[in-house]
Amino acid sequence: MSRKRDKSERRWQGIAVSDGAAAGRVLRVHSGGRHSIYRVSIEATEVEREVRRYRAAVRLARRQLLALKKRAARTLGDEHSYIFDAHLLMLEDRKLNEDVEAVIRTEGVNSEWAVKVVTDRLLAVYEEIKDDYLRERSSDIEDVTRRLLVALTGESMRGRRLTEDAVIVAEELMPSTLAELDFTHIKAVATDVGGWTSHTSIIARGLGIPAVVGLRDFYRAARTGDSIVIEAGPGEVVLHPTPATLERFGADRRAAKEMPTRAVATAEDLRAPLRTRDGVGVTLRANVELPVEYEWVNRYGAHGIGLFRSEFLLSHRGVMPDEEEQRVAYEELARIAGDEGVTVRLFDLGGDKLPASRLDAVEERNPALGLRAIRFCLERPDVLRTQARAVLRAAARGRIDLVLPMVSDVTDVRRARAVIEEESARLATEGKETGRVRIGAMIEVPSAVWVADKLAREVDFFSLGTNDLVQYTLAVDRGNDEVAGWFRSLHPAVLQSIGRVLDAARAAGIPSVVCGEMAASPAYATVLLGLGARELSMAPSAIPRVRRTIAGLEHAEAESIAAACLACASAEEVEELVRERLGARWPNLFPPEILPPPKSKG
Amino acid sequence: MVERRVKIVNRLGLHARAAAKLVRAATGYRSTLRLVRLDRSAAADAKSILSVLMLAAARGTELVVTAEGPDEQAALDVLCRMIDEGFGEAEE
Repeated sequence: MSRKRDKSERRWQGIAVSDGAAAGRVLRVHSGGRHSIYRVSIEATEVEREVRRYRAAVRLARRQLLALKKRAARTLGDEHSYIFDAHLLMLEDRKLNEDVEAVIRTEGVNSEWAVKVVTDRLLAVYEEIKDDYLRERSSDIEDVTRRLLVALTGESMRGRRLTEDAVIVAEELMPSTLAELDFTHIKAVATDVGGWTSHTSIIARGLGIPAVVGLRDFYRAARTGDSIVIEAGPGEVVLHPTPATLERFGADRRAAKEMPTRAVATAEDLRAPLRTRDGVGVTLRANVELPVEYEWVNRYGAHGIGLFRSEFLLSHRGVMPDEEEQRVAYEELARIAGDEGVTVRLFDLGGDKLPASRLDAVEERNPALGLRAIRFCLERPDVLRTQARAVLRAAARGRIDLVLPMVSDVTDVRRARAVIEEESARLATEGKETGRVRIGAMIEVPSAVWVADKLAREVDFFSLGTNDLVQYTLAVDRGNDEVAGWFRSLHPAVLQSIGRVLDAARAAGIPSVVCGEMAASPAYATVLLGLGARELSMAPSAIPRVRRTIAGLEHAEAESIAAACLACASAEEVEELVRERLGARWPNLFPPEILPPPKSKG
Repeated sequence: MVERRVKIVNRLGLHARAAAKLVRAATGYRSTLRLVRLDRSAAADAKSILSVLMLAAARGTELVVTAEGPDEQAALDVLCRMIDEGFGEAEE
């Protein structure tokens, strides 16, 4: 170490996308980009040795890929692991290897340079391809190239220096990178960009790994091995914490662990009926995406699966699963969910989840307001029919409900229902067994809020998707760091919308479940309860925390706090009120550090 | 040598997953296997994924599959069947 670095304590503020806290050591992960490659001449007598060095690197990279493919299949599902098979074939590609070896021999150069020459030539050819989807394969070639270059240094990309206390720091973390790291050892994640709904954030929440994103220039400042503290709650990252900071952090964590319940709750305890201190019953369900999370449903005592985001069955390259694949997946989910069932959300495609262009080659100027969710399903009845058939057939084996994302009014519901009923009738004539499927509406756009009373008469249940409801009600893009200060879940307009929808459901006598990320925060969950929510669905790892909170509070008091919130004029007022009243009424449940911190706009 | 005309029917064309399946199958045969665009504008070695991807065969592309070698008929049948069946992907 020649250059001396400033190691005084520094703090960064970001956006918490997965709750929790951790102290550990930085592990910087490169997001891609190409290494600087130099041309080195090789003596004629050394050329064959250089070719052997190249072949050894190919073998090393191949072993890494085989291991990665196996792990990805196990933790993320087959539909996400196939891409590594394509990478393997590229690595073994005769044309690639013959070309690289020819360059080493004829030009007398090092392997790194030969790999660069050949892959640059390949990439240039790909750039010419007209079809967007096929052209995108160049990213796979880059990935394989990067792996080969790392292998030539004799290093492995995976597991290198992944110590027990690794905190992953990256500019941007691709889901494939997260899959590549042994996430059982990751303590936390901190990235410069990224938003609440990026795939990586969702996986971090699912795995219960604390994560803070939107740190802007943190990656440049951090070095692998640096000491770091992450507190996802307030979205704070501390680099080079002083001994005093670490001491305080340790004390806070011990207090947080001991405070709510002294004994570790067992799955049995977690399954017991949940009531507030004044006897109001509340049901907690699980939101689920990836196979790795399935077993968490029961481990954390969820009462069924309140939301299965079915678009996660698509591969990350956008390939649709067929009817049989879907049926198998839904039956598995229903089996895990048990008597309380699973609610499958129709493919929520388009917008920020998956570019619709991957499926249709149509570029939208404003995807969040474009052809997505139920609109996409109605415009692509082939997709809807396949999914409906799979759900109807799986329902013969277990309890499955279907929820329609982003409906605007009863027309969306009627059109979808007609298609589903047609498929039900067709399956009957085909002699295939089906089960009863209840159909619900996802309430997440303001238009649906205003006609919630009409919608309630045509569906079997409501699901409130608070993430999108906040985004659409406040007209704030939740993936945009620049306006993160305007993304206020406790805005009075949002709370009034939620209250209105819950009232409409109650009046019509149908159940409603709140399944956005708001439900996973103890403070927000308390407000939701006060607004009339009786069913909450959240990332499984959040259930014990929310459960402890609800078991320790009085519903009547939550109701009075919620009523006061509804009368507020701004998000700041609501946040202030929540901080004060929750902290004053239940100081043991809401110590200052777990309450939402004051935010300032801009 | 044997050959047959086929059409790419799966929605995403010969993309990474489809190409991987095809190449995995092709490498199991001893024969020389080629995919040629109907207009002869491009041809690919069916045992090289980079070569197959470079065909940029989107849905609707017509190809001629050729096979030459000791197991040519079996290889041709298998490759053509995979292409005809859209690589087992969900039809639209």
